Amino acid sequence: MDFSFSEREEAFRREVCEFLAANNPNRASDSDDDLEASMDRLPKLLAWNQALLEKGWVGFHWPKEVGGGGGGLIEQMILKQETGKARAPLLGLSYMGLAWVGPGIIKYGTEEQKRRFIPPILKAEEHWCTGYSEPGSGSDLASLRCSAVRDGDHYVISGQKTWTSLAMWSQWMILLVRTDPAAPKHRGISCLLVPMDAPGLEVRPIKAMNGETPFAEVFFNDVRVPVVNRLGAEGQGWEVTKHALANERSSIAEVTAMVNHLEDLKRLAKDRRRDGRPAIQDPLVRQRLARMQTMVEAMRLTGLRFLTKQLRGEEVGAETSVNKLIRAELEVEIGRLALDIEGRYGALVKGSPEAVDNGKWQRQALTWPSYVIGGGTPNIQKNVIAERLLGLPHDV
Amino acid sequence: MNFGFSEDQEQLRLQVRKFLDSECPMDRVRQIMASKEAHDRGLWTRIAALGWPALTVPDAHGGLGLRWEDLVVIAEEAGRTLFPTPLLAGAVATRAIALMASERQKARWLPSLASGDLIATLAVLEESDDLSAAGVELVAENNGEQIVLTGTKMFVPYAQAADLLLVAARESGGISLFAVPADAAGVTVTPLRLIDPTQRAAQVTLEAVAVDPSDRIGEPGSAWSDISAVLDAGTVALAAEMVGAADAALRLATEYAKVRKQFGHPIGRFQGVKHRLAEILVDIESSRSLVYFASWAVDHQPDARAAVSMAKAYASQALDRAGEEGIQIHGAIGFTWECDAQLYYKRGRYCRNLAGSPEYHHERLLAAQGL
Repeated sequence: MDFSFSEREEAFRREVCEFLAANNPNRASDSDDDLEASMDRLPKLLAWNQALLEKGWVGFHWPKEVGGGGGGLIEQMILKQETGKARAPLLGLSYMGLAWVGPGIIKYGTEEQKRRFIPPILKAEEHWCTGYSEPGSGSDLASLRCSAVRDGDHYVISGQKTWTSLAMWSQWMILLVRTDPAAPKHRGISCLLVPMDAPGLEVRPIKAMNGETPFAEVFFNDVRVPVVNRLGAEGQGWEVTKHALANERSSIAEVTAMVNHLEDLKRLAKDRRRDGRPAIQDPLVRQRLARMQTMVEAMRLTGLRFLTKQLRGEEVGAETSVNKLIRAELEVEIGRLALDIEGRYGALVKGSPEAVDNGKWQRQALTWPSYVIGGGTPNIQKNVIAERLLGLPHDV
Repeated sequence: MNFGFSEDQEQLRLQVRKFLDSECPMDRVRQIMASKEAHDRGLWTRIAALGWPALTVPDAHGGLGLRWEDLVVIAEEAGRTLFPTPLLAGAVATRAIALMASERQKARWLPSLASGDLIATLAVLEESDDLSAAGVELVAENNGEQIVLTGTKMFVPYAQAADLLLVAARESGGISLFAVPADAAGVTVTPLRLIDPTQRAAQVTLEAVAVDPSDRIGEPGSAWSDISAVLDAGTVALAAEMVGAADAALRLATEYAKVRKQFGHPIGRFQGVKHRLAEILVDIESSRSLVYFASWAVDHQPDARAAVSMAKAYASQALDRAGEEGIQIHGAIGFTWECDAQLYYKRGRYCRNLAGSPEYHHERLLAAQGL
């Protein structure tokens, strides 16, 4: 074991810190802003994306041939850590484009698809949403029914998607459709790249419990998409998706977010009074803070074990569900503990007189499902662990 | 940056696992736990021949000069089979000598600790069960020529197997450490009966035990910070043993869930069972990460307290839960004496409050950050 960094890696860390000092557009509180506030800051965020792009730090680990940074795993970790520590925005604005659409296109796409789709993701000119879930297909995603029927050199799509995050702001959707109803359910699925302005495609926003509209229903009424927009082979859609979700389960960026939450919670506990004394003196608050810190540190270190495996050229698969479950527990506990620390003030939301930290903890307490449910619920993660790591039989 | 074991360490793990699987399987563990002997001397001789007690002894003194992370590899495997052995108690005492003793004292004890001819243990905790320096009330009085030790130590690990006791004592307004032969006049070792029958610990009474000033390890009255650091390393080894035990308890319950059928299916097919097993795996992998890191930290960080406390707190939760759920998943058979699930459960209950409860370590973690 060795937790030190090489001279070259340390030099890279200094370079990142200098860059952040000059280019980080965030004020101290910005990283907790809601969706609306992020939109107000769009010009600043685009400038941030541009500055990152010039450094080769958008798509940092993507191959240089497609316009990525060609960076190594350790440097990527350093970049994410320092960006998180500085509470800067994410490393590129095209969130899903960078998180899994791009990696999917790089791995499964044609040369033409790479040329067409990768540069606008890097430049934040095009945003992507993800058409996976349907009203009848959530955790059992492979049962999806939205269909695409071949008509010459086009597919004709009909059906419905739901819980589609960012659908209202996206130019493109990565869509799972059933192309072969006769095949076994995992094999009859294909993956299409669909423009959101295609005729017959309709987006209806859904309001979430936090009052924001982060996701939508998307309807397809005979939407025509060229066959060249298929990602991977016909019937290969499930494999493409599994690759995408595996990308989603890598956790370095999430750990730095947790580290920041923890730091803020400690400050909150020092600042607020509970039952006539600073909350930080309450033994139960102390136990919960320490337990949370222990879980965050475990998540960080488990991530480093996975990273080491990757550096050794080994596959990291189902075991990433471990951190996904730790994170799920943390996301819920953060909001709960903050509101407990605040006592009666825990009831005050953004915009109320006397709201603590402008209601950011209340937002956390009302927003965690988007992190905990999306990308596979905790119950599904437990199935993954039980079946793939412990070899227990499939249920149903 | 490299958070994994080396090839040598993986080889060591395989060697240890192979040895324990063939030489100390569970029926042997049960024989040892039922025996009145302090430990199995035959097994001790064999692991000494394999170099296990020599592992962390500096090479200048006849050891292998390896690090605590290497010891943790053995500890985890020992936990897996609930191997009853004074090995870890000895490793802690060895670390105290290597860290605190004079060159002369090292030359006196380390070679025989490495060869396994000498078994030592560290005696710090007393009847108050107070882990801080304030808990050390055993008195060292200097009568001009000799130092006279009087007091009682509790929960001394494997004292009944030890030839040499390293005793923390109050002297000159602080804490000193003394090497006391277990057979010195005035020393009484009374074995305790533990909830975990695979373990050994004793009460040690010192009734005006006279030792030579040359038996003092370190400076008079200023040994506490070193003792504390050594205890922390011991806590990491303990936590590693706990992770190994938790993993074995999980595997045992998992295999049972695959073969036990109810309602026409293996019970491991029902989410009520499989999800509990998955949750235990999450606890184990998380505590494993913390334990491995802490094993590195005690050798490389000036202050490893936070890392140690997190490792012990989480490992306590992991083993406690794995032990308990292990019984529940087995159903009524898990409650029987013949089922091994009970042994892991007992290990969990025994270790939870050993070397500090989770609550103690949570407090210590915050205190270490000035909170």
